[in-house]
Amino acid sequence: MSVTRRQLLWATAGIGTAGALAACGSGSGRSDSEPAPAGSTSEQPRSGGTLKIGALGRASAVTRDPHGSQANESDYLIISLLYDTLAVPGDTANTVPRLAASWQPSPDLKTWRFTIADGAKFHDGTPVTAADVVWSLKRLRATPAGASRLPGIQPSGISAEGARTVVLVSDYANADLPLLTRLTTFVLKKDTKDDAVATASGSGPFKLDWFRDGNARLVRNDDWYGGKVLLDAVEVRIFESPQALANALLAGQIDVASNVGATAARTAGARKDVQVVRRPNDLAMPIVMRAAGGPFADPRVRQALRLAVDREAMVKQVLSGYGTVANDVLGTGDPAYARDLPQRTRDLVRARQLLGAAGFDLARSYDLVTTEDIPGLAESATLFATQVRETGVRINVVKQDSKLFWDASWLKAPLYASYWGTNDSVVFFASKTMVSEAGQNEAGWRDPAFDAAYRKALATADAAERAKVLHQLQEIEYDRSGYLLWGMADGIDLAAAPVRGLPRLPGYGRVQLEKTWLAR
Amino acid sequence: MSLVRFVWPAVRRLALLTVLLATVFAAVSLLPGDAATATSERGESATDLAARRAALGLDRPLAERFWDWLAGLPTGDLGTSAHGRPVTALLAAPFPNTLLLGGLALLLSVTGALALGSWAALRPGGRVDRAVATAATAAFALPEFVVSVALLLVLSLWTGWLPAVTLTGPDGAPASWRMLVLPLLALTIPQIGWNTRIVRGALADQASLPHVQAAILDGLPRHRVLTHHVLPGALPAIAVGTATSAGMLLGGAVVVETLFNYPGIGAVLAGAVADRDTPLVAGVVAATGAAISTLLLAADLIRDRTLGVRA
Repeated sequence: MSVTRRQLLWATAGIGTAGALAACGSGSGRSDSEPAPAGSTSEQPRSGGTLKIGALGRASAVTRDPHGSQANESDYLIISLLYDTLAVPGDTANTVPRLAASWQPSPDLKTWRFTIADGAKFHDGTPVTAADVVWSLKRLRATPAGASRLPGIQPSGISAEGARTVVLVSDYANADLPLLTRLTTFVLKKDTKDDAVATASGSGPFKLDWFRDGNARLVRNDDWYGGKVLLDAVEVRIFESPQALANALLAGQIDVASNVGATAARTAGARKDVQVVRRPNDLAMPIVMRAAGGPFADPRVRQALRLAVDREAMVKQVLSGYGTVANDVLGTGDPAYARDLPQRTRDLVRARQLLGAAGFDLARSYDLVTTEDIPGLAESATLFATQVRETGVRINVVKQDSKLFWDASWLKAPLYASYWGTNDSVVFFASKTMVSEAGQNEAGWRDPAFDAAYRKALATADAAERAKVLHQLQEIEYDRSGYLLWGMADGIDLAAAPVRGLPRLPGYGRVQLEKTWLAR
Repeated sequence: MSLVRFVWPAVRRLALLTVLLATVFAAVSLLPGDAATATSERGESATDLAARRAALGLDRPLAERFWDWLAGLPTGDLGTSAHGRPVTALLAAPFPNTLLLGGLALLLSVTGALALGSWAALRPGGRVDRAVATAATAAFALPEFVVSVALLLVLSLWTGWLPAVTLTGPDGAPASWRMLVLPLLALTIPQIGWNTRIVRGALADQASLPHVQAAILDGLPRHRVLTHHVLPGALPAIAVGTATSAGMLLGGAVVVETLFNYPGIGAVLAGAVADRDTPLVAGVVAATGAAISTLLLAADLIRDRTLGVRA
């Protein structure tokens, strides 16, 4: 279990950086107005106290470079508290301001101007300038994953205009460009040396007290431009396994067990002194059906499988109920998500008809490739295979070693179970996994109408018009993509009774602790 | 003469360790994937991966990489991890932490085993002897995992007597000595079982020897016979058993450290294997291998000292 969790870290980090950066939203917002997870909403937030928070990570993979490949949730948490990104995930909008107070596009949506927040300064007192931001973005762009972290933005397209304005120029019109500035655009001081990154000043809500082997203590930044920070200090502890993380919380050694998972929630459910914080729309575990060729190339076959799955049963059994039923459209946490599409339910009669019409060969069996990277993934494949057996389709679940899966099956196999640890926006998934030329087009799906809708969405500035186009895009995805998305897993944190104001955002939104406080 | 007696086993142990390290290099490269894919982000292009591979030196032949790594060893350079940090820095705190935990566990299990084994040997076949034998077998048969979970439930989660996990302080060591107790017990209990059986067996072998029988017939007190006539002869067998125990302890440490979040080398090793991080895996093996080799060497020397001189 700990091994599989580690793999999740690896994968989510990849997604979080490459992906999430590349686009979008997670879901729900800043915790400003968010009520306490379980406490009464009438309580007045109070200042003071030290929050001890445990997060998953591997001692061997600890990194302190904000622009490095962060495999550890614990590292990402520490970095996010010390350094600021230009924007952060929000709940009412996919992107809300942080170090950048506002942004304005040019009429052609290619050139974007970001204005740095008033009063933003580094922990050593020097103001954050456009030059610092430009230098940091260029450093990010120069990393091995730079091109996928800032897609469409060349190093030459990053420049300063005066001391307060940063200009980003995209190769193509991109109405969603600010989405790229969330999650990994950490700003360091200009010309910070690589070997000094670990101790470099940030501009975030907390300052570094000490760091050792993935553990750290951070103290409040009283001068933070983003508002009053409530906690005196945050102590981050790295945990190798979710079990140890949960035990530490149950024994009262830490106040929050971050992203600890459904297993721990079940154990802790009976304890009155423990809050189970559910962050909906956290993790997608879609089944990918190859559209580019092979037995699932016929859209009717893919449709039949989408009708053969019993979504309620999947959520109940695979996720122990800690999740929600989904509707085959990815990006469920996005405010633009099409909630009005009819919920697809099980229809075995129709599924058999479609299979018959498509001439699907029921005599042979089909491999469904999966890994044990994350809890529930292999189980989802097994249950799915059992469910579709009722239509006559025989599916044989093949569990592969993680590395083998990512090398040999991902993007290639006719049928496999994938997962996305950061639930991102509709446009993110469209750009990364569904538009014809996408580098991670998981199903090899090519649909001219979808591509056209996607490009139109990116090039449309008017919000209402854009919402309409995004809806069309999702209708096409719902009807004929290579995905079967049966449900979304909740992100789960455990917290001690006095903890208030924890973020409810899925994915990487969980690291925003500046409004968290302790009622004790 | 005595120098040869020391040097030859030392050279042999060193050669063995080198072979082991070469095997580690080969074994990691046989696993699917490599450090470049393990540290890359999903969806990085083939060019990005190739650049990463070159940066990590993975494009060079295995033998060459092994030789380069080995050449750094005498200067204390264990190479650079897949995440770009010096291996020595990654091991700086965890290795002493594991040595502390393992060392204490070894000490405790040997002491406990000597006490229990001797107690049992005082009256061979008596009630105590039979009870100790049964308990020792049962304890050794228990996997560390089971012992750990039982201890955790009883001594921490139900009673609140001890901390459930280890939290690390600013110096990289456990924040309180109380955090050591549970992992220590989890490691020690199965090993006391193992060592008690070794001690009891060695004592029984000695007890049947003529000089011991003579001492008993002379009417010497039982405990005097035990300490002066039986134990000295049993020492070599006990020393070898202890050294073997050290190996098992380090194996158990990987499980126990993960369960109790103890900041040791086990966690580093598990992560390094997952990342196909060859220099780091080899670094862990080299450090623990050296520690165990030293113990085995000491056991060899004790045996030679007791038996070899007479031989």
